[in-house]
Amino acid sequence: MTAASGHVLAAAQALLCLAVAPGLIGLIRWLKARMQNRRGSPVWQPYLDLRKLLAKETVVSVNASWLFRLAPYVVFTSTAAVTFLLPVLAVPLPLDPVGDLLVVVYLLLLGTFFLALAGLDPGSAFGGMGASREMTVAALAEPSIAVAMFALALGAGSTNLGEIVARAMARPADAVSPGYLLAFTALFIVTLAETGRLPVDNPATHLELTMIHEAMVLEYSGRYLALIEWAAALKLLVFFTLLANLFVPWGVATTLGPGALLLAAVTYVAKLAVLAAAVAVFETRVAKLRLFRVPELLSVSFVLALLAITASFLSR
Amino acid sequence: MNDAFAQLAMLGSSLVLITSFLLLWRRGTPAHVSALAIQSIALGATAGLVGYFADKHELYLVAVLLIALKGVGIPVLLHRMARRLGPARHVPPYVNTATSLLAGALLVLLAYVVMRPLVEASPLPTRAGMPLAMGVVFVSLFVIVSRRHALAQVIGFLMLENGIALLAVLGTYGIPLIVEIGVFLDAMMGFLVMQIVVYHIHQTFQSLDVEQLNRLRR
Amino acid sequence: MTDLLFAVMVGGYAAGAAAAGVWGQERGGHTASAAGAIVGAIAGLLLGLSGSAGGAAHHWAALDVAAVAGGVVLRLDVLAAFFLVLIGVVAAPAVLYGAGYVAGYAGRYSLRGLGVALNLFLLATSLVPLAGNVMTFLLAWEGMSLASYFLVLTDHEDPETVRAGTWYLGMTQVGLAFLLGAFLFLGAAAPSLDFADLSAAAAELDPAARGLVFVLAVLGFGSKAGLVPLHVWLPRAHPAAPSHVSALMSGVMITLGIYGLLRVGFDVLGGGPAWWGALLIGLGAASALVGVLYALMEDDIKRLLAYSTVENAGLITLGVGAGFLFQALDLPRAAALAVAAALYHALNHAAFKGLLFLGAGSILHATGTRNMNRYGGLIRRMPWTAPCMLLGTVAIAGLPPLNGFMSEWLLFQALLPGVAVASPVVAVLMVLALGVLALTAGLAAAAFAKAFGISFLALPRSDAAAAAHEASVTMRAGMVALAAACVLLAAGALPALAAAGAVASTLVGLAPHPPTFALWLSFQTPAGLARMSPPAVIAGLAVGLGLVWLLVRAVSSRRPVRLAATWGCGRVGQSPRMEYTATAFAEPLRRVFSAIYRPTEDVTVDHHPESRYFVQAIAYRARLLPWFEHYLYEPVLGRVRRWGRRTLLLQSGSIHAYLAYVVGALVLLLGALLVSGAP
Repeated sequence: MTAASGHVLAAAQALLCLAVAPGLIGLIRWLKARMQNRRGSPVWQPYLDLRKLLAKETVVSVNASWLFRLAPYVVFTSTAAVTFLLPVLAVPLPLDPVGDLLVVVYLLLLGTFFLALAGLDPGSAFGGMGASREMTVAALAEPSIAVAMFALALGAGSTNLGEIVARAMARPADAVSPGYLLAFTALFIVTLAETGRLPVDNPATHLELTMIHEAMVLEYSGRYLALIEWAAALKLLVFFTLLANLFVPWGVATTLGPGALLLAAVTYVAKLAVLAAAVAVFETRVAKLRLFRVPELLSVSFVLALLAITASFLSR
Repeated sequence: MNDAFAQLAMLGSSLVLITSFLLLWRRGTPAHVSALAIQSIALGATAGLVGYFADKHELYLVAVLLIALKGVGIPVLLHRMARRLGPARHVPPYVNTATSLLAGALLVLLAYVVMRPLVEASPLPTRAGMPLAMGVVFVSLFVIVSRRHALAQVIGFLMLENGIALLAVLGTYGIPLIVEIGVFLDAMMGFLVMQIVVYHIHQTFQSLDVEQLNRLRR
Repeated sequence: MTDLLFAVMVGGYAAGAAAAGVWGQERGGHTASAAGAIVGAIAGLLLGLSGSAGGAAHHWAALDVAAVAGGVVLRLDVLAAFFLVLIGVVAAPAVLYGAGYVAGYAGRYSLRGLGVALNLFLLATSLVPLAGNVMTFLLAWEGMSLASYFLVLTDHEDPETVRAGTWYLGMTQVGLAFLLGAFLFLGAAAPSLDFADLSAAAAELDPAARGLVFVLAVLGFGSKAGLVPLHVWLPRAHPAAPSHVSALMSGVMITLGIYGLLRVGFDVLGGGPAWWGALLIGLGAASALVGVLYALMEDDIKRLLAYSTVENAGLITLGVGAGFLFQALDLPRAAALAVAAALYHALNHAAFKGLLFLGAGSILHATGTRNMNRYGGLIRRMPWTAPCMLLGTVAIAGLPPLNGFMSEWLLFQALLPGVAVASPVVAVLMVLALGVLALTAGLAAAAFAKAFGISFLALPRSDAAAAAHEASVTMRAGMVALAAACVLLAAGALPALAAAGAVASTLVGLAPHPPTFALWLSFQTPAGLARMSPPAVIAGLAVGLGLVWLLVRAVSSRRPVRLAATWGCGRVGQSPRMEYTATAFAEPLRRVFSAIYRPTEDVTVDHHPESRYFVQAIAYRARLLPWFEHYLYEPVLGRVRRWGRRTLLLQSGSIHAYLAYVVGALVLLLGALLVSGAP
């Protein structure tokens, strides 16, 4: 792979992520609606929403400062920057030397941090509540993400995502090894917590005292809301991509031929659809947890991550 | 071949370990009973697996016994018992859930540290699962110590046994069948005795909170 | 050149102290004193930079000053140079800031004393890393401690400050006692008290004695670094001091405790068995967790920062501990990486903690209170302080693209190879350390989201906050300089790490400048585990931000942004009483960690006299269990007091009795000599 084609690939992967992300949210909503015997809005509805939001007038609270207007850009940029580092279609990744999975995790935390500040800015009680809860969940999720990812990284001998995928492709049977399964479960729980899905947060609710993410972004409208919604979809896609391609790297292209890339794109979308279906089923089956049982869920995730390291790495 | 065997044995022991964590995490007797059932079935499957790969055919019998007795029989009895005793009010454990889970994880790491020499000395492909089996033993002991609900303690005891059985299966490909059956009968007796005790506790105190036993001193 | 810089450094501080001493109460003298200190600080910075280039250690000696104990010996090696740079980076901006900040003290407190003490403090602090023998080291160390004690006492009319000062003095003297013990043990076996001789003698000591020396050193230096359980003075003394002094104490003085650990542990003792590293990792992890957990619960902004210093000292110690451990396991490259990560984090911490204390000082100056629940909306009133503080919070929360993230990334990478070590205990220890590190990072982000969000955003929660004013020009300059240092340390992560790597390599006995630290664009850890490029991350985010802004502008509606009231479920008018407070923000985490905090909450509700359905006022008070005070310090202090009372029996007040004691002691001593058969 030459440097030029590599950079084209990185940009193409990022654009693909940006394009697919809203559709993923739409797919989950549609699947959920079907499972609950509703007709549901079409899969492409989030795209229409984004277009509508971009075209609408933006209303900002009189109490908000410049930080409120800066935050959506920071949130979106930091999340979009992550997509350049992700193994989406092909390895080796051209931008692997720029950042590893810690950069990915902390870029996402940067977005969360600014969103929490923006939630506090207009001075409403909802925003403060959302910000406080979001930071609580993010802080407690941090150790399980790190340890679960390290379970993979140690197996691969590198924390760089491209290397992990390349190493995993060399040993495809690892995908069913207990260490991987445990780490996968741990990361799946974290995904639900970090992206505001059930049972941690309810993405379909507004104006309930139980909400987290929606409370934080309550004051946003117009193009700022569009950026934040898109970033939230992107964050879900980032976690799904990690789950799909780090643990089950089957189908990821190792050459840049059109056939290999097409196959990679098809398997990628199929894997996303499977994960979306899993989340939809899960969200239909479970009820929201009380906020103060969320730490228990996250400690389950941490325990699984620790066991993953023990099973995959320590007991060799 | 050996590789796949090791992998599958590890998978089975991980499952057994995870189900013992379910006991720490979930609340309510029905959830605990199903954790025990899943664990015993996973243990039976692991035993059967070892029997197949290691050509120890008496392990098949062990597997069948385990699944029939602890995977189905005892859980059914426990469910019936829980129903008969009525929906007990929630008895909070001595240690809260999140802390219990972390303590459990630390115990597994401890098990890993103490089992390391044995793992290194063992030539068997199943050796990597031994720390996990020891982890099951530790976690079950922790459950017995930290829970106040009598049935949770009984289930903890049964899981402790499962842990020991798993250790035996992984470490030595199973102890002789006659010993195994003896242990089973022993466990069965133990279970029956405990069942009687639980009924008595419930009759005396109208609760399964073993904290109440303190009152017997006076 | 080196001699000249050294002379300018000492001369600058001395002149500053003299100027403050002579004309301290006048404006001119005050300015001259600050100017002297800045000249000294910059000379110290340059001296450090010239020293870190490597080469033979520079050496100054004045043997006659205190000839008995080996005289004053100063030596500039790479380790000393690194810490001189660290001191200079914070000292110059902090003094500049202080020049404006202390104007508020004029008329109330003696600026003369403050100026003299500050200059002497900086001088002593700069001499600590340069000290080449025990005598010099202890003189500089005590000078630093005493000068900072007087600085803490600046606001001496407040009884709280005096109590804080007493705690500080007590802890620092206890620490000194441990250090004296360590040095006496070593010195007994050495021909002289020069560090080089001590090092030769230490090699001959038996392992138990070396272990004892190390533990004494950990206790002594740990009390200065604020390691748990010796950290109790930090949240008391740092808030009490003037803010630029807090910045120096938190950013600089704390790290000299780490310097001591490195100097004695690696340089003098030459490393040790694995349990040394494990001890430091345990202490570091405990400090990091305790620090961040208590920082989260703090409503006093300066106490929050002080607890966060405990956390960061813990993280640095974690790295140093991993260094000791890896060296004991014969993994010198991993050890060098761990120590380099710790040093780099120490430098970063100096920059962002200095910045945050200066910012907190500006707020304190503007509002007159340290309670964050009385802040709010300062972002509009303080257009300079707010962005500087935002930068500092992003840095300290360990978020990309700033320097805090770069060093935390390295700490993670430094610990990771430890999991691959064959020894199961070490591997498990490292896994737990990684978990603690990740949890600490997450909680720190929450703590600083609270610190910035509650202080600067939303509506002002008090009249003082509504009437806040921006800081003066010199104060702003100090903050901007440190903010720039944070950005530079992030963008220049590679050269900074190369310097730290050179120091670390010499400490663990590798050839300096291992090639892995020389990569320019992308840094790679020696274990080959990971690659990351700080400049590319920074550039990528900056370019991306611009690009997103342009694109959104291009595709979104052209209608101007409309301002409207914050939405509030139909209620009319918004008041700050509806906002989340600092206490409320931290409440979920207080519940989650209630097993550690053991909060006792106390809610009093005042009802309206007419109806119970109308609440007039709610008073909420939450107190956390002060574990260390309750279970360690109070019992120990109580016992000391009881013993003290018992010794009162001897204290009869009669001079004859005292003389009798002296005679009795003499007779006993002679008798003992006679019995033991000594000549």
